[in-house]
This record gives sequence, structure tokens and C-alpha cells, in this order.
Amino acid sequence: MNLYEFEGKQLFEKYGIAVPRGCVVRRGDDAAHAYQELDVKDVVVKSQVLSGKRGKNNGIKFCSSADEVARVAAELFDSPIRGQYVAAVRIEEKLEIAKEHYVSIIYDTRTKQPVLVYSARGGMDIEDVPESEIQKYALDVRQEKIGLDIPYAEELWRCFLQEDARLVEINPLVQTVDGRYVAADAKIAIDEDAGFRHKEWTFEPRTLMGRLPTEREEMVKAIDAGEAYYRGTAGKYIEMDGDIAILFSGGGASIANMDALIKAGLKPANYTEYSGNPPREKVHALAKIVLSKPGLKGLWICGGVANFTNIEETFHGIVDALDEIKPTYPIVVRRAGPYEAEGMELMRACAERNNLRIKLFGKEESMSDTARVLVEMVKN
Amino acid sequence: MSILIDHNTKVLIQGMTGKEGAKAATAMLEYGTKVVCGVTPGKGGQEVEGKPIFNSLKEAFVRFPDITTSAIYVPPFAAKAAVLEAIENNIPTINVIVERIPIRDTAYFLAAAREKNIRVIGPSSLGYIAPGIGRIGVVGGPLVQEIFQPGSIGVISRSGGMTNELSWQIRKAGMGQSAAVHVGGDLLMGTTYGDLLKLFQEDAQTKAVVIFGEHGGWYEFDVGRGQSAEEKSRTLADVGVMVAERYEDLVTLIQPFA
Repeated sequence: MNLYEFEGKQLFEKYGIAVPRGCVVRRGDDAAHAYQELDVKDVVVKSQVLSGKRGKNNGIKFCSSADEVARVAAELFDSPIRGQYVAAVRIEEKLEIAKEHYVSIIYDTRTKQPVLVYSARGGMDIEDVPESEIQKYALDVRQEKIGLDIPYAEELWRCFLQEDARLVEINPLVQTVDGRYVAADAKIAIDEDAGFRHKEWTFEPRTLMGRLPTEREEMVKAIDAGEAYYRGTAGKYIEMDGDIAILFSGGGASIANMDALIKAGLKPANYTEYSGNPPREKVHALAKIVLSKPGLKGLWICGGVANFTNIEETFHGIVDALDEIKPTYPIVVRRAGPYEAEGMELMRACAERNNLRIKLFGKEESMSDTARVLVEMVKN
Repeated sequence: MSILIDHNTKVLIQGMTGKEGAKAATAMLEYGTKVVCGVTPGKGGQEVEGKPIFNSLKEAFVRFPDITTSAIYVPPFAAKAAVLEAIENNIPTINVIVERIPIRDTAYFLAAAREKNIRVIGPSSLGYIAPGIGRIGVVGGPLVQEIFQPGSIGVISRSGGMTNELSWQIRKAGMGQSAAVHVGGDLLMGTTYGDLLKLFQEDAQTKAVVIFGEHGGWYEFDVGRGQSAEEKSRTLADVGVMVAERYEDLVTLIQPFA
């Protein structure tokens, strides 16, 4: 999960990395009052979004009065950055910059360990800095100290490890005219799989879809929360503009099937994938939310030949939802794997008692081919 | 011949008393894999599928000194300790089935494994199979005999479901598999496409390999270099890799080589 700049800076402070004096203003808060409280004349007002490149997209403004801050803050709240929702604005002291550096720590899939990346040329996209001016240091998660003469390297390393980060980045790391080092920006991505050892992680909801999470997205996310969070996954739901409800299983297959659906000329109402043998209750909760979207014209339940996901158990969950909702639009099912006969029988019986328009396919039909079957049914 | 598993493979299951661990034990034994014992701390003395459970790997090794492979079926918060115990006991091949392990824990045990030249497959791997010889994990599930038969096609997949689905498409087209490996879907992979291609290259039975990769990520670049999805496809084509438009087409592409 990506953190907002202001959340990242709170973590930086915890590890002794200096950040500019500042405050956070929420939608509806009094920005002018916050500016006066801050008691600094020249400030920077920054959009809080889950996207980079704020500078180039008018998300960072300089101000010197309360009126100006109020006006600029209101503008920023109304201006999504590259489609990203502005959650807050941060007002902070304008730094007297002598030099801008770059420093980050990220996992490298080649060494399978973190790597520290440093450049004396910060303040721009690291992708735009010539390779010859970037230094990379291979790290090992088992080491306690880095032992490099790079500002804040040790602090950043402690933050990376103790906060279970997947990425920590300071760009720019400002060297001020009076010689201090200050993190002018903060980019942190945390590893949600480490949530069990971070009870303090109570971050506000967010999506990378350029908007706040929808009600359905929030509800689905809750399905995988709690003690048995790792017992099967049924908490993935992205709401989309189309009208074909999606209940896919398996991560890889679901991506291939989204392509197949769109290629066949249909538009998905959502992206959803359950996997890892989730129990009936989880799938029921998921299916109910997927089918609750208004204006649906079809439902595609599709997955590969399962290895260990119990088709009977998971289909039971879907059948529970179909019994409640009794859709009148066409439904296509393609699935195989453990207890497939029992699962298909459940579907057949459910279709009969609810008069559903449903077609069932096993492994003999390929996944993409059943998308075309759905196209025909939706047309008629 | 086959890769990763042969008739001398002897398997220990860490977490065999759990629901998924017990199911895996049954699936492996039914397919003829030599599962010799399990380990669950505090449950030593019990039995699963007639195989003894020990409190620790140390105890297991006293009875079974020739264990070659450990399959890890523990909750994610216990995974790091379990894998490290397998490494300390010098088990040459470790298959980490566990999903949702914190990446810092994965990096930790991968570093420890590398120092001892121990092969880790996974995490988030469903396992692997050499048709007719044995399987680690539940690859193929109860339909394993319908999906897998010995043959000349190697299968590598980033997705567990697609390992099976692809193997089925290969079988449906009249071919068989030399081995099918689910490398797992995590950012850090213990065994990569590149590692497996080397093994398949040396394997006399394998004549062609199918890879189900991913959007994004860098692992395909062990095979060919590139950046975007299009560039990835192009550079893979440059080094002689055929790239399919749809997964069903993979089988058509590979058929002439089987």
C-alpha cells in the first residue's frame, strides 16, 4: 500500500529524518487558520495524492499569505493529479535549497534483497538521471547497519526494515544553505502482508484508481480481514464502468480472462478474483456484493482447472447469492477441478429452482471460448 | 529423467497436521511421492496418513536421515522460522507453499538459503510435478491423472491455476509434460524462469518449454531484455521465444516441437 507524503513524513520523523515544519489540511478545514498557526511566512502547499510528478502537474504551489494559502488550497482540492483524488494538502516551510540529492531503498528482484540507490542529482525523476550519476549499493535484510557515507542512509534503512516497507524514497533530499539535510518529499510503500505485526497500521482507505474506494470495494475488502485473513482470498473487487458481472478464480487466469472478455466485445462491471480455496461464507459475501451492482446484463463465472480450490464449496457460496438475488440476465460458468461434478450439480439445481438462464462448461471448453458464448446470450 | 524430483526424492512436510498440510500429504502419497514424515512443534508422536509427526526437524532427521525435500505448510507468520529450520538442517530443496509471507521474511530466508546453495521454490508456490514420478504439493489436484502424462513439454507458470490449465491444454492437444513448476506469484522468487530453463535445457526428456509469465515485473529479462509489455514480447522474440496472444495459442505454438 502506498502512503501519502504526510504519512511518510510522520514515519521519517519517527526515525530521525528531518522534514520541513508543516501541517496537514483536510477537505473542509480552514487552510488560512492552519497557515497562521504554522507561523512561517513563505510556505509550499502540496497536494496529497498517491501519484508522483506533482510538480509538473500543478500540485505544488508557493504562497506567502493566509489569503493566498486559502485560495491555493481550495484550487488544489479541486484538481486531481493525473486522475488521482486529492485526499489532503500539506502546508510546510519553504526551504532555502543549496543542493538536491536522491536516496531510496527498494527490493531488487535480481539480488532478491533491498538495494540503496543514491544520486547527487535529486529533484527530478530518477529515471531521467544518467546511469553514470546513480550509485547502487546491494544490501541484505540481515544486516543492521549500512555503513555508507550517505545522509540519512542508516535512518532510512531502519525505517525500511522496522516499518516493513517495500519502498522508501526521499526525492529531493534537500541540503539547505545552512547545511542541514531535510527530506522535502516522502514516498513509502508498506507491505500489507506484514500487517499482523503492525497493529498500529490504521491508515485511511485509498485506491490507486484515482478516486476514493466505492462502498462495494470497501465491503469486499472487509471479507479478507480478521484472524483467518490468509485462509483463501475473496477480498478482491475493483468496480468498473461495464455491465458484465465477473466472478473469476485464480490470479493468472483472471487477467487472461479480462482480456478475453474485452476482446469478445463485452465490458466488465468489476474485476474480481477469488483463490486459495476460500470457504463458502467468504465466496457468498463476495458474490452478493458483485451481484448487487445495478444495471448488470450478464454474469461470467470463470476459472481454470483448479488444483485444490474446492469447486463444490466455492460454488455453494455463489449459489447462496444466486438464490437470494435470482438474476434474470444470462450466466455462463466455466470451471473444473476438485468436486467439479458436485459443484456443477449445485449450479444446475439452483438454475432450475430460480429459472436462471445459465450455461455450464467444464474443462473441455477453453475459457476464452465461453466468453463468446456469453456474448451470444447477452445479444439475444 | 526429470527435473527437481526423481524416484529417490524423500519428502518431509512442515505443518502436516494442519488442514492444508494433511490434504497435501494425501495428494502426494496418492500420486506415489515418498512422503516420509511431518513436523509440527508440539504435536510429535501423532500420525498423519500413517506417517509419523516430529516436534522438530532435528528429531525427524534421526529417524529419516535421507530427506531431500521439505514442503512448507504453515501460517504466514510462522513461515520464516519454518524455512530457516529447514535450511539449518541442510535440506537441499525447499518448496514454500505459504502465501502472504512478508517480503522482508522472504528476503531473509532466501539469503540464508543461497549461502548454503539450497534451492527454494516459491513462496506462494503450489508445488511442482514430474508426471509419472511424483508431485510436491497438490498440483493437478484430484484430476491429476486426467491432466498430466509423461511427455516432452516443460511448464513454468507464475500462476498456480494456470499451471494446471496450461498442462491440461497440452494434454488435450495430445502431448505430455516432462515437469510443471509453479514458481509462485510473489515479488521475490526463490527459483526463477532462468533457473528452471537451465534445468530443462540439461534434461533429455524436455524438448520445449511453455512459460506463463506476467504483465510488468523483470523476471522475463533473465531470458531477454526489454521494458514495456510490447518491448518485452519483442525482445523475447529476438532471442527465439515465441509469444502467444492467448493462452490457448501456447499449445499450437509448441506442438511442432513436442
